[in-house]
Amino acid sequence: MALDFKKLTLQDALDLAILVEQEARERYEEFAYQMSTHATPAAADFFRLMMTYEAKHATQLAARREALFGSAAVRVNRNDLWDVEAPEYDEARAFMSAKSAMAVALEAERKAFRFFDDALHSITDANVRALFEELREDERHHEALVIEAISKQPDDAAGAQFEGDEPVAQ
Amino acid sequence: MSTAAPLLAKDFKSDLKPIWCPGCGDFGVVAGLYRALAAIGRPPHEIAFVSGIGCSSRIPGYTTAYGFNTVHGRALPIAQGIKLARPELLVLCAGGDGDGFSIGGGHVPHAVRRNIDFTYIVMDNQVYGLTKGQLSPTSPKGLKTVTSVFGSIESPINPLLQVLSYGAGFVAQATPADMSGMTAILEEAIRYPGFAYVNVQSPCVTYGEDENDLKAHKTKMKSLSKMGHDPADYLKALELATHYGVELYTGVFYRNPNPPPTYDQQITERHAALAAGAPKRERVLDMFAQKP
Repeated sequence: MALDFKKLTLQDALDLAILVEQEARERYEEFAYQMSTHATPAAADFFRLMMTYEAKHATQLAARREALFGSAAVRVNRNDLWDVEAPEYDEARAFMSAKSAMAVALEAERKAFRFFDDALHSITDANVRALFEELREDERHHEALVIEAISKQPDDAAGAQFEGDEPVAQ
Repeated sequence: MSTAAPLLAKDFKSDLKPIWCPGCGDFGVVAGLYRALAAIGRPPHEIAFVSGIGCSSRIPGYTTAYGFNTVHGRALPIAQGIKLARPELLVLCAGGDGDGFSIGGGHVPHAVRRNIDFTYIVMDNQVYGLTKGQLSPTSPKGLKTVTSVFGSIESPINPLLQVLSYGAGFVAQATPADMSGMTAILEEAIRYPGFAYVNVQSPCVTYGEDENDLKAHKTKMKSLSKMGHDPADYLKALELATHYGVELYTGVFYRNPNPPPTYDQQITERHAALAAGAPKRERVLDMFAQKP
């Protein structure tokens, strides 16, 4: 179902933002597990780190939501969004390096920035606009952090150079 | 009176974690299925999920539904049996293209023509992935695999055309490159009252071709609804299905606007009708026994 951003209330917008962070947390958790089972601990560690960041963001947003709206029923649901900040499933690859894993997170942060930026074109409610502008800037900040982390990684092309066996059915 | 909380996608996610290759299309399929099932709202204990053998056939284990990972190619007869024995259950069946259209191919026409009310999801990756990349029934002509080192000289099976020509009431195709669209199609298929078929183009990242990965799907896929296709138009659906393997059409090819009674409904009705005039159960043996 396509979201109608014009109709979003601040409560809906906060709930949506929480779902975005929760979806990203779950995806990073899945990716960390995938890397663990494919003997790629450095990539697994990085995805685990991203998982904790996304969980923290979701918790912070949930606290704001509770302070403003208490336990009011949630009106948005998971089917209203797909992969806003969560990296897409086909971004993961067996035996990817930590640097490749960071590149996946970088694209995910940029994708989230584009989501909030695009949505802002349709949003008229001042409070919702302020929230989405804040979230958009958060994504820009996260992007910068990931770029910095990538710059500290040694040059590698571990995925391209890997000459071992392909993944094995388990 | 308390009302049950609505079901969420996580309610259908089991503790067992998928062990497909990272990047596999099947991750998207199971994630979409969680959300489709949550939208449908039947609790996991009212769902029976049957599969055959292969990478994709692991899928029931990743859900909280009752699952049965059966034997190669035999998912369809077992799903039919479950639906006839327990018609109140929501029955799902899944597998790969090899499981469904090679070793299990003989079961497809019969499942379709009987019109038993369940959904068959085929994760079509055009290769046998679990056994390390052999030619499958939907592999394109020319594909080089470990069993076709100079390129396949066989024409592939067209699953869409097959099930349509056998008379399936609901036939659709999806790709995890469009998660939202795929989830909506899975939900619609499960809601259809009768046999429903969904061909999910779910690329194999390890043995598949790069030009057919999910990124390629994003540029190639063409939405049938955006093309203005009327899913009630059976002849047009047949024509569109002939482009399988060339065009990547996504959406509903055909949905019977007047779904006929399902086999399971008719069996229930017949049992009820015959039961009315039937002798009492304890008298049945007497009909065969010679009285002294």
